Amino acid sequence: MRTLRCYWLTLVLGLLPLATLADETLHYPADPTTDAPRPLVVHAALDLPQIEPVLQAFHRLHPEVELTYRNFTTLDLHQRFLKAPDQADVMISSAMPWQYRLVNDGHAREQLSANARAWPAWARWRHELFAFTFEPIVMVVRRELDERYGTIQGHADLLALLERHGRELSGRVVTYDPASSGAGYTYAIEESRLSPRYWELVAALGQARAQLVDTTDDMLEGLIEGRYLVGYNLLGSYARDVVAAHPELRLVVPDDYALVTRRLAFVPQHAPHPDTGGRFLDFLISETGQRLLAEQTALGAIHPALDGPGTAEALRRELGDALRPIDLGPGLLATLDDLKRQALLSRWQREFSRYTAAPP
Amino acid sequence: MTLTDSLYRRLLTWLLVPLLALGGLMLLLAWSEARRTADRAFDRLLEAATLSIAEQVQWQDEQLWLDLPPAALEMLATDAQERVFYSLVDQAGRVVTGNAELPGDPRDDSASGDTRLYRDIEWRGMELRQGVRRSRLEDWRLRERFEVRVAHTREGREALMKELLRGNLAYILAMAAVAITVLLLAIRAALTPLTRLRRAIRARDPRTLEPLTLPLPRELAELRETLNDLLARMRRVRANQERFIGDASHQLRTPLAGLSARAELALRQEDPARWREALLAMQTTSAKTARLAMQLLSLTRLDNPEYQPELVPLDLNAIAREAVREHWSQCQRSGVDLGLEASSSPLVVNGVDWQFAEALSNLIDNAQRYGARCITVRTRATPLTLEVEDDGPGIPAELRLRMLRPFHRGDEALEGSGLGLAIVDGIARSHHATLNLEAGQDGRGLRVRLVFPEAAQ
Repeated sequence: MRTLRCYWLTLVLGLLPLATLADETLHYPADPTTDAPRPLVVHAALDLPQIEPVLQAFHRLHPEVELTYRNFTTLDLHQRFLKAPDQADVMISSAMPWQYRLVNDGHAREQLSANARAWPAWARWRHELFAFTFEPIVMVVRRELDERYGTIQGHADLLALLERHGRELSGRVVTYDPASSGAGYTYAIEESRLSPRYWELVAALGQARAQLVDTTDDMLEGLIEGRYLVGYNLLGSYARDVVAAHPELRLVVPDDYALVTRRLAFVPQHAPHPDTGGRFLDFLISETGQRLLAEQTALGAIHPALDGPGTAEALRRELGDALRPIDLGPGLLATLDDLKRQALLSRWQREFSRYTAAPP
Repeated sequence: MTLTDSLYRRLLTWLLVPLLALGGLMLLLAWSEARRTADRAFDRLLEAATLSIAEQVQWQDEQLWLDLPPAALEMLATDAQERVFYSLVDQAGRVVTGNAELPGDPRDDSASGDTRLYRDIEWRGMELRQGVRRSRLEDWRLRERFEVRVAHTREGREALMKELLRGNLAYILAMAAVAITVLLLAIRAALTPLTRLRRAIRARDPRTLEPLTLPLPRELAELRETLNDLLARMRRVRANQERFIGDASHQLRTPLAGLSARAELALRQEDPARWREALLAMQTTSAKTARLAMQLLSLTRLDNPEYQPELVPLDLNAIAREAVREHWSQCQRSGVDLGLEASSSPLVVNGVDWQFAEALSNLIDNAQRYGARCITVRTRATPLTLEVEDDGPGIPAELRLRMLRPFHRGDEALEGSGLGLAIVDGIARSHHATLNLEAGQDGRGLRVRLVFPEAAQ
């Protein structure tokens, strides 16, 4: 089983561009006046611009900490941890199933600070794994599409649009490739569980010869360039800033259902500096840290005391029951089941090529 | 710290210790029962999860295939957010899928019997509860066997167990509190009559010897009766003492009155010859009175239970010889044949020498006074005996016991204090010897024997 999974990981990893460490590392040296600097190593799959305000604020608060932040892709991060579980003090990743699996296997340290105890039950697991962001999965459309076919607000609109104008939109729709992207696979399995009509949507996407890519950035790039008219299942936190900067794009948070993914953080059992790691994790879920996330990043804050733009509370008020946060529970283990993955991918492939003689 | 012995404490200990042991046993039972109940409740989850997984197992692409139902895992996670592990193993023991290589059912027999197994395992340092289900594909031709293994941590079970135990604990503690309270009250109530008895005894006039009459439970009533017996004996002793004092004062008053009358009579005379005669008579009387007073004193001393003289080893032969030597000349004068029959070897007895001398002198005096012509002082080795035999009138068998009472004389006409035999009896008792009065040789006369126990040597 282990070999199978490793094989899969290697396969997927091979398809992804490896993050270059030099560009993806931030280092904050300890205040030279402190006698004993306290090292802290954060390994994460979270882009630097998003996390930088948080790191700066933390370092201001604890100048004695010598902070090293390394950003990886989710798969690289996971594999690295399995190889050497004693290097990082904090693990942050948006790949919820993998994070969950590591913690389920007992790789995390229990956190019992006041903040950790008060953290809402739906955003943590066993006081070991903490969700600290709230990022809806969205669609991005070019405004010219709205002008030509009318605005789309949800999955039903998208399905109707694809079914009606599939030919015209051929090659102009983009989404994640579930076979090569971990995030795409996670969304696919969650959506297939949420609604049986998801398969109709996949078939319609196939009919429209939707382009399959591996990252949200790829999709946004194509949308900005005008290669694509509709992007489906983009990570809202990354899309928001880009859309704000490009008036020709429009962000659609689906009003029928919107998946919400959450970044998960934990302190590894064999962390070299578990105290500092615990303090950083505590800062992430503290009101101060969460306010930073809400106000200075697009990640979205969970803290129940916070309200206003960029908080889960505001999003929930806006969308109500349509929000579907991916459940932080053992269902994520099923997501990682090898047979399940094979079954889902073959079904996905079958549905995607339902209306086309040969798969793209 | 040494604890003083107390009935209250004894009762408390003997009742509390078994009670506490029982309570401990109940706790232990409650604990194991709670654990069993929790396991039973949660094992149903293992059963349901393995079943729902087993139902999804199919044959596809020439191998076992499983479309893992997430609900099965969520079921296992419970409210306590357990860690969940699962694996599907084919009949060759190869893991088809799963997130953990859990151990299998070690039992061989899978064709018949129980196809399910629940047990506690330790896996990678975690305490897990495992459920294993053996099953097979229900296809027409394919009957491939497989095993579904699931496991989860025990937190939910522990929580349920603690909850059950808390309920039981409250119940057991309440019962223990009631039992201990009742116990304390019961012991106190049971010991109350003892306090009443103590108060009744303490409140008594120290001079009274009246029996106790307060009502008491059976066990204490026995004690009360025993006390009353003792009091009755003390009453008799006191009556004896009072009579003795009465008799003694009477005995002393008579010679003193005689002395005083004699002196008065002599003072009316002018003749010195009469005076001398009176003085002689007074000397005899006062010597007799002095002897009486001495005898009374020694008797009182012998009767005093507090008086315990130091006993030293003495030879009975030497004592007998000494007594004979002392009385021989006087007996010779009054024509009495005083003889000694001593044992050949020394007879050692622990005793007080002056008391033996006193006893022998009393016996010899008595024999002489009651008209014996031949007196023999004798010692024997077996049994250890000191005896005085005479050929006087003797004492009829039915009166012998009465002769031991003070102031009791065989013949009222004869002079004497009537204390002699009583003193001998007292001496015998203080030496733990037996005093026997019996007829002498040929049924004549009197033989008084002091038989010493073997231990006195």
